Amino acid sequence: MTLQDLILKLSTFWASYGCLLQQPLDLEVGAGTSHPETLFRVLGPKPWSVAYVQPSRRPDDGRFGQNPNRLFKHLQYQVILKPSPDEVQQRYLESLEACGINPRQHDIRFEEDNWESPTLGAWGIGWQVMLDGQEITQFTYFQQVGGIDLEPISCEITYGLERIAMFLQRVDNVFDLEWGGGVKYAEVRLQEEIDQSKYAFGQVDLSGEEFAALHRDLFDKYYGFTEVLLRSGLVWPALEHCLKCSHLFNILDSSGSIGVTERTTYILRVRQLAVKIAKAYVGETPAPAGGEAGPMPPGFGEARAKPAGSV
Amino acid sequence: MDRELLIEIGCEEIPAGWLPDLTLQMAQRLDARLKDARVDADRPVESYSTPRRLTARVVRLAERQSDFDELVNGPPVSAAFRPDGEPTPAAIGFGKKYGVEVSSLERVQTPKGLYLAHRVHHRGKATVDVLPDVFGGLLRDLRFPKQMRWDAFLEDGKGPLVFARPIRWLMLLYGGRVVPFVIRRTELAQGPLVQDIRTGANTYGHRFLTTSGRAGRAIKVKTFDDYQSRLLENFVILDRAERESRIRRELETHARKLGGRVSGLVAAQSSLLREVPDLVEYPSVVAGHYPVEFLSLPEEVLTTTMIHHQHYFPVVDAEGRLKPAFLAVTNTQAEKPEIIARNSERVLIARLRDARFFWDADRKASLASRVGRLSTILFHKRLGSYREKADRVAALARWVAAEALRQSEAAVHAETAGRLCKADQATDMVRELTELQGTMGGIYAREEGQPEEVWKAIYFHYMPIGVEPDAPPSRQQLGAAAVTWAAVSLADKLDSVVGMFSAGERPTGSRDPLGLRRQAQGVVKILADLPALTGLDVRLRVGPLLARAAEPFGGLAPFREPLLAFMADRLTYLLEQRTFDVRSVRAVMHAGIEQLSPLEARQKLEALAQMSGSQALLGVAGLLKRVKNITKGISVEGGTLEGQPHRSRLHEPAELALAVALDARSQTIRDAAARGDYREAFAGIAALQPPAAKFFDDVLVMADDDGLRTARLALVATLRDLIMDIADISEIAADDRVGEGPRAAGGV
Repeated sequence: MTLQDLILKLSTFWASYGCLLQQPLDLEVGAGTSHPETLFRVLGPKPWSVAYVQPSRRPDDGRFGQNPNRLFKHLQYQVILKPSPDEVQQRYLESLEACGINPRQHDIRFEEDNWESPTLGAWGIGWQVMLDGQEITQFTYFQQVGGIDLEPISCEITYGLERIAMFLQRVDNVFDLEWGGGVKYAEVRLQEEIDQSKYAFGQVDLSGEEFAALHRDLFDKYYGFTEVLLRSGLVWPALEHCLKCSHLFNILDSSGSIGVTERTTYILRVRQLAVKIAKAYVGETPAPAGGEAGPMPPGFGEARAKPAGSV
Repeated sequence: MDRELLIEIGCEEIPAGWLPDLTLQMAQRLDARLKDARVDADRPVESYSTPRRLTARVVRLAERQSDFDELVNGPPVSAAFRPDGEPTPAAIGFGKKYGVEVSSLERVQTPKGLYLAHRVHHRGKATVDVLPDVFGGLLRDLRFPKQMRWDAFLEDGKGPLVFARPIRWLMLLYGGRVVPFVIRRTELAQGPLVQDIRTGANTYGHRFLTTSGRAGRAIKVKTFDDYQSRLLENFVILDRAERESRIRRELETHARKLGGRVSGLVAAQSSLLREVPDLVEYPSVVAGHYPVEFLSLPEEVLTTTMIHHQHYFPVVDAEGRLKPAFLAVTNTQAEKPEIIARNSERVLIARLRDARFFWDADRKASLASRVGRLSTILFHKRLGSYREKADRVAALARWVAAEALRQSEAAVHAETAGRLCKADQATDMVRELTELQGTMGGIYAREEGQPEEVWKAIYFHYMPIGVEPDAPPSRQQLGAAAVTWAAVSLADKLDSVVGMFSAGERPTGSRDPLGLRRQAQGVVKILADLPALTGLDVRLRVGPLLARAAEPFGGLAPFREPLLAFMADRLTYLLEQRTFDVRSVRAVMHAGIEQLSPLEARQKLEALAQMSGSQALLGVAGLLKRVKNITKGISVEGGTLEGQPHRSRLHEPAELALAVALDARSQTIRDAAARGDYREAFAGIAALQPPAAKFFDDVLVMADDDGLRTARLALVATLRDLIMDIADISEIAADDRVGEGPRAAGGV
């Protein structure tokens, strides 16, 4: 099964289950969770079921196209079910069958893995789904997003598309995957991986200081403008600009441009924005700056928030 | 008639690490709830679990609650009757309320006086009628390390029902019949796909396997035996012990087929064997291989990848060398296990390929060159980065080696190892395999040609983990690095413990996220076992080490008391773990942790344990208790009797005899203690028993004559100090012989 066939299968499966098929967020994000179709829709009482592909960037995981399992940008298939149906695990297993994975021939397990994103003030309880020892899906019952307790609870299913395709195609190198019609993954993405990795690690025609200064400056500008947008009551553009800050922070981090204490400060600042945006979305008055989402574990950044980073 | 109670809480996969405790809780909580409800069970509750179910069973449970009487208090008797003996309206009203004459009310004595009371006889309800409350209580009672909300609540008025994972079915059978109970879903979630969960007679087997019908279908059961056997037909082994023995058996068989055995590291360094029975409902083992070329990677990298990252069991040959093979415990009985084996191999090989990439890349730069990069890794927000920690540890390790252990030739190596010991955190390998912190640094140091004194000190610096005498590393493992290791390991742990206390991070209750207890235990373990670990017979005291470690943080003063109490707790823990008598531990720790050498403490306890049968020593212990009582606040100059101005006042034969005995033995006892020969010291003290006992039998210490009394008090205070310098053995005095009561006071 080609990578694009896999996407089609999952889309057909979840559409027939009643999910809207959405499109990826046209912005640089670390995970499908950042998409407003997740981040906003899980807030508040309104039922919502949606599925979409989200190209996800983890600057820190960039390997210049040389690592067979690790990518600057990988593809997630994201499903949000709100409220979470009682039979959700069963439906998920059926989706695997629809993709040609026969559960009687494999060892499929749900192993504890709880998800947390300090920059989004979000956390959930769940599992990583293991298929013959390979993590193929992150399965999460959201508990809190933007510092707000969720009710009802949404279920997020995040498939690692490259991993599942590699499993189905029995290839050991992601670049050997068949994307579709005989075209390899390398042909589609290798050059992009090389270029993006160089960028992520600051290998550009600027000194390290200039590189860092430029990105700090961009961060501050986007940050300031997000606050303007929030004041103007425009939550969707506010979220998008907040996500730009989040990505810039990831670049600053991967390029080694920031120290430890500063790193914590950046995470906290992005979270404060995310919390304000979430509150604005559900119609509450934006709260004053502060840690509404509780204490933050040290060493937890956006880039590492979701372990499905490598394929 | 008694009937069987069977409960099953069907759940989505509960974290494996929680199951042992949850199984225990199921039994204890249900037991307690049944007792509260006055429903008698003939035997304690049995409980079971798999990842998808928590099960409890009572073989025979009474059909009714036991009856009970309740005494309801009415008005006080004083207000219940007029002077003529006629009942007051208050008394009549109370009687009326219960439909009885005042004359048939009882009188009860309460702390507030005599009251009228009515005895209400409660007839026990049928068990089926109280079981819903018992069950609801059980659901509320269970505690989880982390709980989730899942849009559920109970009708007990206490709001949302949080749980480990969503509950998907409930079985509550009494005598084979369903007892109705319901978990409701919140209005916002409720709908065609989200429904209330009602108790039924159905269980569910393995998700994918069955011997008949459709896998995963509902299976109706009536009794526990029926339940257990139907589950087995549907590929669920209910009993954890059975799953475990099946796993062990299959692991052995497969390892033998591969010409080896399961690596001992699995049991020694991980909880894998303990965890796998709780990860599966129907275990079976598959074997896989990986290319021989990966055996060129350090063994630690291979085993960590297999054990910690893939939950695979490495296989070793007869000599303990890794074979290029592994075993995986699966939760299925696959038609073609080779498919799973091949896929597992692919995952493992991908990881090993990554590891080899890291191994090659990391060795291109020296550890020393990585120390600078530690400035980007935070140790603690108040204590700065690992770069700063490395500097502190280097200086402290040097001081421990040169000053505390007086091994100046080890100082330079200790400093080097101290500076490099955290550098591996800036390597790709440790970023990926965090379990290999330290270990990897040691290996890289070895690869770049650092001497054994340095690389092994780094390799083992996180150890010891346990407090047992044989907790690794051993002297043999340490080889030439024994002294430098002790210096670096002590320095790292002291710096963390003292630093964290200075930053206000103190372990409380069950919270110790930074592992400070274990680190402090590491410190006292190294100090207590120093001769066995390093060959150095040095009795290092805790206080000076803490003081030196606190210098970079501005000194001990702001947190001295809590830190000392914490260290004392950790040493007490270590000594008690080694099964020393609790009272003896108190005896050797009486002078406070600061002045204490853990090594001395251990040696004294060993001597005391050897002499535990000595009646003479126990006798002295009892007398010491009396002496301590009467000599409170009295100190003796110089600690000996000779030259004491009052000595000449002594005249009774018994007191002269004790004085002579003390003069004769003091020096021997002190010398023995100084040598660390506590057996000899305690024997010397025990030998003082006859003169001391005779003294207390014959002589009245509290003489009327001031001078005489002072002389006698000085005599017994000298005895006290001689003993107390070694241990406060009054702690081990038998309580029935000497108490704080009049008898003890009467004797003096």
